[in-house]
Amino acid sequence: MSINFSKIVRPSYTIAEFAKHVVIVLVCVALLFPLFLMIVMSVKDKEQVVFSFFTIQPPFHFENYLVAFSYISPFIMNSVWMAIGSTVLTVGVTALAGYAFGKLEFPFKNVLFWILFAKMMLPGIMNLIPSFTLAWKLGILDTSLPVILFCAGTSQPFWVFVMRTFVAQQPQELFESMRIDGANELQIFRYLAIPLLRPMLALMSINVFVSVWNDYIWPLVTIQSFDKRPLTVGLAYLTSAHPGDYGMLTAGYVIAALPLLVLFFISMKQFIEGLTAGAIKL
Amino acid sequence: MAHQSVPPIRQTPRTKNKWQRQMWVGWLFVAPAIGLNLLFDWYPMMDGIYRSFYRWDGYSTAVYVGFENFRKIFNDTIFWTAVTNMLFFLVMSIILMIPTIITSVILFRIRHMRAQYIYRVLFCIPMVVPWMVIILMWQFMYNPQYGLFNRFIELIGMPDMQQTWLGDSELVKWCVIFMGFPFVTTNAALIYLGGLKSVSESVWEAGALDGVGPLQKFFYLELPLITGQFSLNLIGTITAAITGYTTQLVLTKGGPGFASMVPGLYMYFSAFKSQKYGYASALGMVMFVLSLVITLLSLKFFQKEESES
Repeated sequence: MSINFSKIVRPSYTIAEFAKHVVIVLVCVALLFPLFLMIVMSVKDKEQVVFSFFTIQPPFHFENYLVAFSYISPFIMNSVWMAIGSTVLTVGVTALAGYAFGKLEFPFKNVLFWILFAKMMLPGIMNLIPSFTLAWKLGILDTSLPVILFCAGTSQPFWVFVMRTFVAQQPQELFESMRIDGANELQIFRYLAIPLLRPMLALMSINVFVSVWNDYIWPLVTIQSFDKRPLTVGLAYLTSAHPGDYGMLTAGYVIAALPLLVLFFISMKQFIEGLTAGAIKL
Repeated sequence: MAHQSVPPIRQTPRTKNKWQRQMWVGWLFVAPAIGLNLLFDWYPMMDGIYRSFYRWDGYSTAVYVGFENFRKIFNDTIFWTAVTNMLFFLVMSIILMIPTIITSVILFRIRHMRAQYIYRVLFCIPMVVPWMVIILMWQFMYNPQYGLFNRFIELIGMPDMQQTWLGDSELVKWCVIFMGFPFVTTNAALIYLGGLKSVSESVWEAGALDGVGPLQKFFYLELPLITGQFSLNLIGTITAAITGYTTQLVLTKGGPGFASMVPGLYMYFSAFKSQKYGYASALGMVMFVLSLVITLLSLKFFQKEESES
């Protein structure tokens, strides 16, 4: 599409067009500056951080990365398991529910849907403390279970809503024809609904994964053991435990940022298309 | 279940059979979602309402105190400081929604599609870097001893202009706001962009034929066309400003003194530092009601604006 468009209207490099580019480039520079600074600082030792803050010159201290990695690799693994566990559970229950709300008929369907829908509209600020006491009563404090279970409980209403809309838009005949062929509901879900929902499931997985990856307060509250902490909590702890050692710390920040950046560049196309598609649905 | 997949000889009317089958399958399919939501979302909320009428330290038996927690909140000077700070953050974050809108319109108007795509990719990068990393980088930049700002002031030869930044009770709130620089929320910008792109080409052609200038185009075409996306972002911004406190918790711990304290953080400290769970629950309830009311009011306001124009 972009090729056709540029053929019809050749970009004319007027001053106005140029000014637009300048503005956007400046915005991008400002947005990415902290990340640039992070990379620059990450190869400096303690002395260079103090005495050559603004210069980039050898010797480069790549050993910062080794030190930082030894500190934060356990945190990364904890975060990976938490994020994967939360994503699988949340996406699983959401897909089932979204499909059922979109295409099946059953008593109390609307009531059940409103349970989720109402929660979507209500702010979650009150939940923190009672959630903590609930996790305590269930005896799951100091494990990754609070993160996974509460993620599945609280983040799905919005996505059930999105999935329901998406499923309801699919032609009824598709589902009926499979029923006539003698497929049971589980088979229909597995072989028809899941493939149809795939782009939605991908978008949702990315969102849930990133939100768990970024979560700070909930794991901070529920996980006490140092070696079970996720990346966000670990990074904040590391920063307060090593004041002034900004070469090693920024190297740690770079390592912390890498997994998602790599994932992003692998799935860039779906990611950006998903964002745009999500916007149209609003 | 699997045995039923072989279609039986149709003795019963097919519709009834189907209805019954769908009923159980439907319930079975929504049960995990509903169950998890009831247990881990509805129950804590209800429990929070209940707890806010109790005095409870987390260990001994909770004591029913009626509205005493709320009365205490009203007379709590820390709470009112926190509310004042919160209102400052709220107003600033609503005002600072404007740069995002302008940026997304400019991005939309860039006609070079390839360049626009590259900018979109660049816009995605801040979204996939953990928020914690961004906060900690800003904390580093504000650091009075090692940080970027004081080093830069030193570099240009005005060392007496150096500040303690996050340690300065006058500056700290502005520092928290300035963390958003350049005040473009990239995911919101991309959502606006998606909204503008979904508008049919004929609208823009009609506008071009009518000879609409760039400013007029902004106010009469682009701005009204993204109202839907805007009100959604507005709810998010308001809720985040009223109930959010991660930034303050990591960056300043509400300090110095209570200069950057917000109600959410006060709730957090009341529960997990002072063990006043009942009081903290009551604080949570106050914020819950506050954000609900402000969201509804602002939505009403914007919908009225929309219908009038």
